[in-house]
Amino acid sequence: MIDTENGSRVVDVRGLTKVYGSGALAFEALKDVDFHADRGEFVMLSGPSGSGKTTLLSILGCVLSPTDGHVVLFGRDVSNATEDVLPALRLDLIGFVFQGFNLIASLTVRDNVAFVLQLRGWQPRAARTEADKLLADVGIGDKGDALPRDLSGGQRQRVAIARAIAGNPPLLLADEPTANLDGHTGLQVTELLKNLARAHGSTVIVVTHDNRIFHVADRIVHIEDGRVSA
Amino acid sequence: MTTAQSLAAVAPAEANVARRADHPFRLRTMVVVGVRMMFHDRLKLAGTLFGVIFAVVLTNQQLGVFLGLLDKNSMFIDHAGADIWIAPPATKTLQAGKPVPMAALYEARTTPGVAWAEPLIFSGATVSLPGGGSEPVTLVGTKSPAWRGGPWNLVAGSVDALRRPDTMIFEDSQRDILGGLNVGSVREVSRRRIVVGGFTWGLLPFGPSYAFADYDLARELTGTPVDETSFVLVGVSPGADRDVVAHALQARVGDNQVFTAAEFRSRVLTYILANTGIGVTTGTSTAFGLIVGLVIVGLAMFSAVVDNIREFGTLKALGCRNRDLAVLLLTQSAVYALLGSTIGLGMISFVADRVRSPNFALVLPWQAYAATPVVMATLCGLASLLALVRVRNVEPAMVFR
Repeated sequence: MIDTENGSRVVDVRGLTKVYGSGALAFEALKDVDFHADRGEFVMLSGPSGSGKTTLLSILGCVLSPTDGHVVLFGRDVSNATEDVLPALRLDLIGFVFQGFNLIASLTVRDNVAFVLQLRGWQPRAARTEADKLLADVGIGDKGDALPRDLSGGQRQRVAIARAIAGNPPLLLADEPTANLDGHTGLQVTELLKNLARAHGSTVIVVTHDNRIFHVADRIVHIEDGRVSA
Repeated sequence: MTTAQSLAAVAPAEANVARRADHPFRLRTMVVVGVRMMFHDRLKLAGTLFGVIFAVVLTNQQLGVFLGLLDKNSMFIDHAGADIWIAPPATKTLQAGKPVPMAALYEARTTPGVAWAEPLIFSGATVSLPGGGSEPVTLVGTKSPAWRGGPWNLVAGSVDALRRPDTMIFEDSQRDILGGLNVGSVREVSRRRIVVGGFTWGLLPFGPSYAFADYDLARELTGTPVDETSFVLVGVSPGADRDVVAHALQARVGDNQVFTAAEFRSRVLTYILANTGIGVTTGTSTAFGLIVGLVIVGLAMFSAVVDNIREFGTLKALGCRNRDLAVLLLTQSAVYALLGSTIGLGMISFVADRVRSPNFALVLPWQAYAATPVVMATLCGLASLLALVRVRNVEPAMVFR
């Protein structure tokens, strides 16, 4: 059981190391990283390309295993969790917003959102109703029947946000959510993410090097050469 | 209803791993997503369906031809109306051989459980053509009034025409070959003047077509002595066990062989399969069709996974397990199999209907229609294994790259 209700420390990372490859080709992407995020916090991970911020996000998202160190989510050490439990962890705890939106092209906007809810056990009809509500919350309530290809980049990212917050996951992870958006839209999307996360009581960790949105963060963690520097 | 209320109403309130059971909506969700993904890429759908349809059409065409050939060789046994056959010793096929003594007929008629027994002449004969030359026929002589052994499928004239002196019934599809026959035409059969009394349709075995005559006329045309015949056809009394009756008959007819109709049919077909290349030829073609279909479907499904690899990575990142994605792919296999079977069987049925003639028939029994979707589902399931392996190896972390 993971307790998502009690305790303020949502993410607690200690001595995290990630090495890609082995031998002479080994590359240390993360070096003894300590990191944390508290309940309801909006944290940005910034740093240059190749600094290790996306690797950290991948490990926090339980889609990549660390080489060494401890990753504790909601009080449970998931550092050595196996593929038997990781999908359930991701489904229960984490909402993702990707740089490239990663919507399922064959599903309508509504079904992209409802899909995650149905995986979580919602009845199809209730899931679609909730999806419509979430789409209205992100400002595209009239696009439910559209396919992702019919939407603009900003609209797609709004769908991705609706999908990420569907079912109230306590932790939202966003990887460069503004990278494919213009400055104005990027800021709108980031503020939307923050407001919705706050309304749902979720913790948000955003990887970005877009300094136009830094002011939205509660805290900015800088990563460089695989180390947390500030 | 707020989000929280919705959650309380339809989903467990707590977010934790333990409650993540295999609820039915999860399965349904993966099935729906699998079908949507299939129909989204119409080109790939068409390509994959082509593979299944190709396999369905080729295998059923080969099977239909095969069964059609077998049917030609067993049609007489199927339509003769006999429960039991008494045949000469060493009989392997339905061909004239050493005669059966008429004593066997009389033994049969006095055997308990026998309702009736009739002699049958089954022999080769030649029809002389008006312009010279001759054509072979398989002369069948049957007894009135029951006419056990035919003719059947008459399209002109009636069976009773055989009661008239020197009258025979020929196969309609052979009219031109036999010199432009019509009802009332006169031909010389085995040097005797014969009048055409009617025509059957489709009674064309693998060898010369059947031509029917009254038993005594047939005996005279073939020079069969009065105390001999080609076969004896036996009908079993209602309620009698045909195996028991066959066993009793065998004890009375010496070296002659006694078969139930099913045994005789099986014996003839087994001989053909064992001594001709029909089985191997059609079996090879059928296997070829299945293998090509397997390869096409396998490659198409694998290619679909590779093309959508990022979507599969996303599904994994969102919480789908390998078994969920297996459900998705197996659903696609099942739909490909069902659609491909339906279209393929529709096509082959259409073709079978159009090409059906006395010379050639695709025989597709209901079992072929029932088995095809099952075979194709198995084939598509096997074909999806390659895609399953690829999906299993998809790293969800790829979504961040």
